[in-house]
Amino acid sequence: MERNEGETMKVDIVVIGGGASGLAAALSAKSDSNSVLVLEREAVLGGILNQCIHNGFGLHVFREELTGPEYASRFIEKFTEANIDYKLDTTVLSIEKPEDCFNIEAYNTEDGALTIEAKAVILSSGCYERTRGQIKLPGARVKGIMPAGSAQRYLNIDGYLVGKDVFILGSGDIGLIMARRMTLEGAKVHGVAEIMPYSNGLTRNIVQCLHDYDIPLYLSHTVTDIKGDNALESITIQEVDKDFKPIPGTEKMFDVDTLLLSVGLVPDTMVFETLDIELSEITKGAIVDHTYQSNIPGLFACGNALHVHDLVDWVTIESEKAGKSAKHYADDALKETRRLLTIEPLNGIRYTVPQFVDVNNFEAPITIMFRVTNKYDVGTFTVKQGDTIIQQKKARFIAPAEMESLMIKPDQLIDQTTPITIELEVKS
Amino acid sequence: MIDFTIIGGGVIGTLIARELSKYNVSILLLEKENDIGNHATLANSAIVHSGHDPKPGSLKAQLCVRGNSLYESLSKELKIPLIFSGAFVMARDTDEVETLEMLYQRAIQNGVKQVALLDPEEARKQEPNMADGILKVLDLPTTKVTYPWEIAIAALQNAQENGAQYRLNAKVTKITPLEEGFEIEINEDERINTQYVINAAGVYADELGKFVEQEMPYKITPRRGEYYVLDKKVKGFVERVLYPVPSEKGKGVLVVPQVHGNILLGPTSEFQDEKENRDNHSDHLHWIKRDSEKLAKNIPFDLIIRTFSGLRATSTYSDFYIQPAKAYPQFIHVAGIDSPGLTAAPAIAEYVVNTLLNADETFTKKKDFNPFRTKKKPFHESTLEEKIALILDDRRYGNIVCKCERVTEAEVVEAIHSAVSSPTVKGIKKRVRAGSGLCQGGYCENTVVKLIARELKIPLTEVEYYEKNTAILWKETKVKR
Repeated sequence: MERNEGETMKVDIVVIGGGASGLAAALSAKSDSNSVLVLEREAVLGGILNQCIHNGFGLHVFREELTGPEYASRFIEKFTEANIDYKLDTTVLSIEKPEDCFNIEAYNTEDGALTIEAKAVILSSGCYERTRGQIKLPGARVKGIMPAGSAQRYLNIDGYLVGKDVFILGSGDIGLIMARRMTLEGAKVHGVAEIMPYSNGLTRNIVQCLHDYDIPLYLSHTVTDIKGDNALESITIQEVDKDFKPIPGTEKMFDVDTLLLSVGLVPDTMVFETLDIELSEITKGAIVDHTYQSNIPGLFACGNALHVHDLVDWVTIESEKAGKSAKHYADDALKETRRLLTIEPLNGIRYTVPQFVDVNNFEAPITIMFRVTNKYDVGTFTVKQGDTIIQQKKARFIAPAEMESLMIKPDQLIDQTTPITIELEVKS
Repeated sequence: MIDFTIIGGGVIGTLIARELSKYNVSILLLEKENDIGNHATLANSAIVHSGHDPKPGSLKAQLCVRGNSLYESLSKELKIPLIFSGAFVMARDTDEVETLEMLYQRAIQNGVKQVALLDPEEARKQEPNMADGILKVLDLPTTKVTYPWEIAIAALQNAQENGAQYRLNAKVTKITPLEEGFEIEINEDERINTQYVINAAGVYADELGKFVEQEMPYKITPRRGEYYVLDKKVKGFVERVLYPVPSEKGKGVLVVPQVHGNILLGPTSEFQDEKENRDNHSDHLHWIKRDSEKLAKNIPFDLIIRTFSGLRATSTYSDFYIQPAKAYPQFIHVAGIDSPGLTAAPAIAEYVVNTLLNADETFTKKKDFNPFRTKKKPFHESTLEEKIALILDDRRYGNIVCKCERVTEAEVVEAIHSAVSSPTVKGIKKRVRAGSGLCQGGYCENTVVKLIARELKIPLTEVEYYEKNTAILWKETKVKR
């Protein structure tokens, strides 16, 4: 692509982020009739998978167990074969949509300032980690407190350990994986504290990363004090009551130089800021219909930039759909006027993605992904329109950490106006 | 022999250094930390108060109003961000309305311009998110907000451009009065001689004062203030600084829009004995939430990205203590500088140099004093055309290191090698804001660490977060051949 500094590039579909989500979306968005450009801020494609060197990826998509980089490389190969344009080390700083097209401003050292005009945009920029400030952790503000994913990057990409005596707050999957990883590299992991009465990670990670290495998991516990002179010296954890208030007398102190935080991930929607996009208060990502289109026509979102997933396999499947929709949009094959039918989470369901069905474009079966609010052994998910049950599904080992899904076919709808509801029934 | 030794590199010490650099004198500023602007200067509300609060006739009142009037030119000369926010003081009950009317009179007496009392309906038109149940509002249009640590950095850089010198990691461990001037011991192993000493050591001012005073005229009683920072997405939630009616504990918890779009909530006010403890307490953070809700409704607390706390160098003396030592007129205490210290800072520098030292009579003025600091416009504030030009000149402007605050590699590298530099992760953050945004360095810290190592030609394991012994990485894991 020859161009002069400051000259505008024209592309049909721009994909922001070249990780698991962006690669899958770009692959399905590409056709003979349209051009696709992937913008990736890192020096390599693959996104966060590159630092996830543990196995467990691909069980659903490939029916085999791959490491993160292996999973990524399967898509990078296909992507390269498909001859899709991409730019590495390139950061998008703004997206605007003055009229029918999007204007994207991105930067790298080679092209300088890139201004791109695109018909459709797929946001697949992943997520960021919640920080100490966001969870309002009390105590001394010292060096040695870091999100678990940042420590993972230092260890797996750069080859450096951040500390030797480690405690982990939060039982999210990255924290659990890092407990094992740092142990294997010679650090002592003193424990993992989780404020909830159950873990927020996958069960297999609790077993394979904590139990197998005798790392204690303190459920219903949180960090209530941090001490140190410039650098972290010790932390105190305390048991919490039902209202998450620390219970006096339950203090346990650990002499550690590192506190890793695995306290949640948030979709990175920062580049949206200049657009008037509707975001969900729960997922913190865009509110989308089943084509993964947001309230801004031509703007699609998928992967962890839409809502945080526990398995990359679901990211791939979701992003392929978003990519396909963007292709249809660019080809004018998606009906422009949307007619939105709400999918409402009721009892026991925290959120759904998508949040709407666009009945004008509802021709094939769609998957609704959702998370529950609490942990149960067995339960039944019921999908209704008004009082009419349109689908039911029994499930075992239901937990907020594990994403659930349901499929709905167009002919299951009783009408095109009554909102769809999903609820969870459990036997007490 | 050095003419002036200034102890302490906060806004006070650095602005005094700059004021003195207008004269033909030698100046050395000593800072015990590895960066300047590290304590009260780093952790405060960033407000340039109008001067409605201090008691008429006090030095605080005089220097606050004067300081406020100096900020506009200071911000132009030193290229410091300054927003003309204005402020509302809000009364919730009849007692508070009475106090507010008293403050209105006091503001006029102190010489504050454009003050007015507003009815709540009128005030709400200008601040729709103001809390319900407010009975009366004191409007203070001259209140402004600035960026405190950049003042210290800029003032010292400008002083340096005009001949002043400074040293970091230089803790004064002893001061001995000599027949002529003083001997200052640094880090217990080095001695220098100086004619004058300016004691601008913040919470440690009383400990240094003891070397020259038989009986200390003041004691520093640190008063901690804790804060929340809201992400810049909150920009526009309020335009003005919102104050409650002050109490005996101070100005109370405020809602303060910041120059980069963030909002600060705080501070709390708790006396403590320790001079280093800047912890956050869950209870105190809760108070901030409770009290800020009395000022504004629908505060988006879910946009909190950081907590911090700082110590005010409150003293037992009822006013700023800016006086020569009893027996040594060439030792000047600039102590007890709590609120409105930031506002007063440029006026304090002027007062010390012009009034106490009578510099115009005692020293000769430099003919070539340059009041302007050299500073490039930040990349993110540039137009597209300017950005293209910057990148054509230096490709590293095309590498966005910090996505949240839009900071480029060129700017980080420049900060590492800048005149008043502190090449640590936080030192860079203080200068170019890499890591100040929503992800709090989750993404850019890794790159900043590598850039510091590359530019200083040091191993990654030697790159520090901030103070001593704060290397971010412990050890390399890969087996080396």
